[in-house]
Amino acid sequence: MKSLKRVASVIGVGHTDWVSDWHRVRAGERPDDCYGYAAGALRNALADAGIGKEQVNGLIVGPTTAYERMAEVVGLNVRWGDQADAVLSVVQACMAIESGAADVVALVYGNDQRSVGTQYGGPQAMGGDQFLSYVYHAPWGLTSQGALYALMFRRFCELHGVSERDLGHVAVAQREGSSRNPNAIQRKPISLDDYMAAPYITEPLRLFDYCLINDGGVALIIAEAGLARKLSPRAVSIEAVGRFDLNQGATSLEPRLTDFYRPAQQAVAEQIFGASGLDPSDIDVLQVYDSFSVHVPLALEGYGYCGIGESGRFMREKGIGLGGLLPTNTSGGHLSESYMQGWNHQIECVRQARGECGDRQIENCRRVHYTSDVAGKAVSIIYGA
Amino acid sequence: MPTQTAATPPRVLGLYDEPFWRHMKDDGRMHLQCCRDCGAWRYPPGPACHACLSPASDWKPVSGGGELLSWVTFHKQYLPAYPAPYNVIAVRLDEGPTLISNLIEDPEPDQRPIGRRVRLKVVAMADGVALPRFEFAD
Ligand SMILES: [Zn+2]
Repeated sequence: MKSLKRVASVIGVGHTDWVSDWHRVRAGERPDDCYGYAAGALRNALADAGIGKEQVNGLIVGPTTAYERMAEVVGLNVRWGDQADAVLSVVQACMAIESGAADVVALVYGNDQRSVGTQYGGPQAMGGDQFLSYVYHAPWGLTSQGALYALMFRRFCELHGVSERDLGHVAVAQREGSSRNPNAIQRKPISLDDYMAAPYITEPLRLFDYCLINDGGVALIIAEAGLARKLSPRAVSIEAVGRFDLNQGATSLEPRLTDFYRPAQQAVAEQIFGASGLDPSDIDVLQVYDSFSVHVPLALEGYGYCGIGESGRFMREKGIGLGGLLPTNTSGGHLSESYMQGWNHQIECVRQARGECGDRQIENCRRVHYTSDVAGKAVSIIYGA
Repeated sequence: MPTQTAATPPRVLGLYDEPFWRHMKDDGRMHLQCCRDCGAWRYPPGPACHACLSPASDWKPVSGGGELLSWVTFHKQYLPAYPAPYNVIAVRLDEGPTLISNLIEDPEPDQRPIGRRVRLKVVAMADGVALPRFEFAD
């Protein structure tokens, strides 16, 4: 993917009011459905970009909405379109722009997972019996995503010298960020002792290692790099993207259990760093898809922010909080800000690069690395100011 | 493991899965597909060899030996047949494939379970399903 360096920039970001909707849903309301949340986020992203929807000529919708219906709801006839998850939407937008298929692409995502009670565990979770995954293991009592990460983390602890308390640094650091983020749902700071005192869900993972489940929407506007400079003084460049997939042994969890995704992450690191003359020390903020806290130490080692087997010490001594060597998931991420399946992280990348993060802004933030290492796919983006 | 009273959680029974469960029940042994052309062992069952793409395979018994890769303890009940706490393990069979299963006796951390040898034991569930589980072999 060498050709996808600096071909496009983000010119607008938008999202729904996660906090207000969290309270409304908990009070029994259904504020919107997936389409309504996505439409609300798109309104905000267009306003942030300062453009009208008639300037959009490409559309990517998230996995929770049907492409044609979503486009109908927001009234967009476009010359190119697609459906993808958060990180692949950004990659697809860059590819569409590079090919000339579109030059202003809207990415929209909405999810009513909390208000409709979407099941991410259980034998029929997310149609899992169609593509096997963990649903295959239901007869042995394994039917939850959390259990996969617990299996992975237990082995990682044993082989890489990480302790359960070391892992607590992830939840503690992210809560520090969310405590300074008015958009975050969980804002009460926690200590390592609070983390350790919380109950196990699937041991060795505890309550604070698990993501939130909430309703909401996110939208991004991505434009061809030259056009983006004309349209917005605050455009954030997509410096590089990289991807590598480990599919063999997927149902048996082999890529996670024995490799911890590392070969995929190392291949991606070569794509995003090696070829562009950057290295991990050029990254000011790291954002990691965190359905579970475990993703963070794996990414630290896999992308070379520390050596293999050193993530525990890195989190303990160098730090991943706002004042640490590598501030990570500064908005609170999925654990504490909002579970927008990777989409909210894109907003935080853009805001950190723009310098708009207020009390949690990382000084002189020039480059932000987002990575999503789930279901066998390692995919990364570097955003630049 | 706790005594089972409720139904075993549903098995995924695709087009290629039936011999796995039939052998387990009839012979009390685990059989897996083995590629007739290159000898690669396959799990879960499927239509083609992941190594050479051959469609030809034979169901052959496995030795039942393996190594414990990881283990967890569920502290929350998700399924009627599995009251918490209960364990789930990952085992790499000597033939190569990795399986998710349970240890018949709940492991303790001071047993240092990871890396230990395990051996397969087919267990009859309350509803008659023959389920492959493991016990320490060393
Ligand atoms: Zn073969």
